Amino acid sequence: MLKRLLHVTPSGAAGLAFAAFAFLVIPALAGKLWLSVFISTGCFVLAIAGVAFMYARLGMVSLTQVGLMGVGGWVMLRLNHAAGFPFEVNLVIAALVTMVCGWILALPAMRMRGLYLALVTLMAAGGLEIIFATYQFPNGGEGFWGVKTGSADAFRRPWLAQTPEAYLRYVVAFVTLGFLFIEAHRRLWPGRAWALIRRSEAAAMAAGVNVTFYKMWAFGIAGVLAGAAGGLLAGSLGLLDDATFRASESVMLFALAVVGGARYWLGAVIAATLYRILPALLNNWGVDADLAFVIFGAGLLHAVITAPNGIAGQIMDLAAGLRARFGKGGKP
Amino acid sequence: MDRTRLFNWLVFAAAMAAICGWLAWGKPFKITGLFLTSGLAVGSLYALGGIGMVVLYRATGVLNLASGAAGAAGAMIAWQLETWGLWPPLGWLACILVALAITLAYGRFLAPRLAWRDTVVKAVATLGYALIILGLVAFIWIDDPRALKLPTDAVGIQVMGLRVTATRLIVLAAAIAIVVGIHAFLGRTRVGLQMRALANDRDLSALVGIPILKVETIAWGIAGVIAGFTGLMFADLIRLEPVVITFMVIPSVAAAIAGRLESLALVLIGGLSMGVIESMLTLSPMLKGARPIAPFVIAAVVLLWYQRGTRLTFGGKD
Amino acid sequence: MNHRTALAALTAFAGMTLAGAAFAADPVCGAATGEAATGEPIIVGGIYGNAAPGDWTSSTDAAAAYFKCVNANGGIHGRPIDYRVENDQWNPENAAQAAAKLVSDTDSVAMVGNGSFIEMAVNAGTYKDEGIMVMASACAISECFESSNIVSTNQGPLPSNLGAAMYAREELGATNIACIGLNIPNNGIWSCQAVIDYMEANGGTGSMALLNPGAPDVNSALLEAVSSGADTILINQPAGLALAILKAAEEQDLRDAFNWIAPTPLYDLSVPDQLGEYWYGHVYVNAELAPLQVNGPDAQNWVAVMEAYGNADDPRDTFGQAGYLSARFFVDAMLGMDPADVGDRAKVADAIRGIKGMTSDLMCGPYYVGDADFHMPNHAGYMVKIVEGGFEIVRECYEYDSAYFEPMLAIEKELGLN
Repeated sequence: MLKRLLHVTPSGAAGLAFAAFAFLVIPALAGKLWLSVFISTGCFVLAIAGVAFMYARLGMVSLTQVGLMGVGGWVMLRLNHAAGFPFEVNLVIAALVTMVCGWILALPAMRMRGLYLALVTLMAAGGLEIIFATYQFPNGGEGFWGVKTGSADAFRRPWLAQTPEAYLRYVVAFVTLGFLFIEAHRRLWPGRAWALIRRSEAAAMAAGVNVTFYKMWAFGIAGVLAGAAGGLLAGSLGLLDDATFRASESVMLFALAVVGGARYWLGAVIAATLYRILPALLNNWGVDADLAFVIFGAGLLHAVITAPNGIAGQIMDLAAGLRARFGKGGKP
Repeated sequence: MDRTRLFNWLVFAAAMAAICGWLAWGKPFKITGLFLTSGLAVGSLYALGGIGMVVLYRATGVLNLASGAAGAAGAMIAWQLETWGLWPPLGWLACILVALAITLAYGRFLAPRLAWRDTVVKAVATLGYALIILGLVAFIWIDDPRALKLPTDAVGIQVMGLRVTATRLIVLAAAIAIVVGIHAFLGRTRVGLQMRALANDRDLSALVGIPILKVETIAWGIAGVIAGFTGLMFADLIRLEPVVITFMVIPSVAAAIAGRLESLALVLIGGLSMGVIESMLTLSPMLKGARPIAPFVIAAVVLLWYQRGTRLTFGGKD
Repeated sequence: MNHRTALAALTAFAGMTLAGAAFAADPVCGAATGEAATGEPIIVGGIYGNAAPGDWTSSTDAAAAYFKCVNANGGIHGRPIDYRVENDQWNPENAAQAAAKLVSDTDSVAMVGNGSFIEMAVNAGTYKDEGIMVMASACAISECFESSNIVSTNQGPLPSNLGAAMYAREELGATNIACIGLNIPNNGIWSCQAVIDYMEANGGTGSMALLNPGAPDVNSALLEAVSSGADTILINQPAGLALAILKAAEEQDLRDAFNWIAPTPLYDLSVPDQLGEYWYGHVYVNAELAPLQVNGPDAQNWVAVMEAYGNADDPRDTFGQAGYLSARFFVDAMLGMDPADVGDRAKVADAIRGIKGMTSDLMCGPYYVGDADFHMPNHAGYMVKIVEGGFEIVRECYEYDSAYFEPMLAIEKELGLN
């Protein structure tokens, strides 16, 4: 049992190596601009991991992940300005509150599948977009919404991570924990229940699996990851704006999760790279922001059409092919 | 079955009337009437967007999130042609043709390559297409105050002290006419029959020799024309801003949901009531700030209502 | 950097003919030596917002043109200005990244010409921590005017609203103003509340009707304002939304039932044509800087600089003027420094804080910075009326009379400016 849980696959080893690289090397090399880009990329990796996991393991589509990030960010900012808890405590509360929101969202969605489920979550994202636009994010004001006019109050970053370099490391650590969290679930009993549900809900029910419970569980995990991602994003900027959390962004995030490859950790990294690093690169190269949109949209369409398992799937196939060719026996 | 349906209708109508009545309570008619007419126009646009979406979805299985972008591109072309001094009706025609061309291009060249993917993936792929169009439109026409006017804006009738322009009447009448027209088309014509067959079972339809490509192309065409018309009306009645027109698809999805992606009449009623309630919410001091949330809440409630009493069942597609 | 359509060029052309200075004399910039600067470049940054809801490039465009002109005329003590601009795309993450790139990763000495809706809110802390001064030009939010390291040449919505409200109260007999603002705390609510306070302090009343920027329906906010019992409607909106609101009002034939006033965003040359004949003579707009027909020597110099060093399609509008002014005041301050210090951010920041009493015919009052936690040097303007083909001045430079400006007036007194 324990051996099964701790077994390291080649893909897992590559993932841990990449995390170590991101933790040790990248912060030391990047300038302030790229640190800031990488930090938000890291936050979105975490959020994408949540959507991708739901899609790959259960075939459920959530089009509200960015909206849920907004919830996490909102709670994070509200707590920061209202109470003197340390950053980590706020982050845990933000993740848990978002998890509860994910559950509330899941309750009606439990009876639906496929496109209908996706559309319910899209309606939720639309509603959250309006709420964020109307009530804004807390910036140190009074009352429940905590919004005031004028400059925002200071945001307390974690004491472990006062500088941008340290904050990037902090985010990388959380992202790695998030992936390990998902992987542990996959390898233990919920993972077996999910696999059964994915294959056939009828068979799962017949086998005595509580389908609703395990689906809810999955929604909860996606919620926790989104909440933590939103909280970390709030921590990097110190304030948030509703423009980040539009419903269309949630749709985009899901699309990118598919493009990246929902079944692989690399897929989430690729998706977040396309979402945050590519636009920053285009901007850095002086490409007009509107044309960057065109390039982005075309890339998205192209990848959806040509790579059914996502870009990560293609890379994994390639790696497996190479291993088969050179790893075994060395025949020409 | 029919009795449940009638019951659903009655409950919905009663609920909407009750909400409007509650919001309008104690306000003079002159004021509530203003909000009602304003809401009906917005609602008609939501409904039109939803109708195009449902027609296309039933026939092709694609939920097109790029219809707003197609309408936005069309409306900008219409504005540009008018600014260059062209006879305005040509501009309006160009608007519809451009939206038609954009939509058909996707339907003919890109959608077939995704035919075997999940419904949801097909839907989100159209968002990529919407971004391409929106990016191009925003690149060609930099942000600048613009307005599109139709001659029907100047014509109006007085209804109990408030002026209702011909454009508002046209958009409402068009929404109703399109629903009736498509209903007749599906029920009376051969292509309509084939479309219904496709909506019921694609694989079987292919087996019995329905010309899928032709039928789908017609469906994409209808959706394109509706998108162009909606874009033009939106530009006139609401405002001429490509981004706003593009992302109007999200409340349109809400209207489509109200009709369960199935019934055009329900999409129309759902869309209209979303527009009216959104507008009437302005009368509530507490809720007026968050009034654009109305379509989403209504759609969610309608979905829950449809699903009441059902359990998660096996089998069947979505 | 920006690709403009023929239309923008047309607008710009209309602007020049309106200014009547299409064939202006040679521009005068910086030290005016006529020789190109060749020394080690001095890096200056600028952030603009150009994405979905609005294009705010005109201030950085104008600043860029002026700097080019300065570089061709001796630079700053022989050193050219390397002006680098970034687009925040109305996205806070991009805004933070732009500042990281221009301020933290680069040895820039100051930021000039910034124009944005969100950049200042995100970066005010960064600017303070990095000790850099920002001479912005197109600010729309409260952070711009209420932080220590940002000073803006334009007024922002609050003073401009007050100017419009004051004119309406004094000249149009307004007693109850309904302000249609964006539902953004540091923009719409902040600036509408100031109008309500002003009216209440002067025996009138006011109210605000708020509108979500992304929501399609603008009509409801107008109807809310109409049903509030106001006699005057203040359209505190970007030009595109303001047009939509006026169009809805035209549909209901509300023109004669209210006074229609607006802050600066409606002072845009494409507005009169898009509005149409119905509104000519009925919409009063506050202009933060001199309207084009005033055409003083500095205004002519601005046009000449744009002619010679700008792109033909850079807009010639209020924010363009503001960008030119910020750049000119910055260069004047730099030229007054010891040549050894012009590459040093802290010393440049001190020199900028030391600016006082610079003047231009584009601006009603003197420009100053000073060492305070808030900066708002520009709080006097013109009032114009929309007429066929353009704008007609209905009130020359006037100071806005509101309690909000007391701290600024106190500082000006201290600096000996009034």
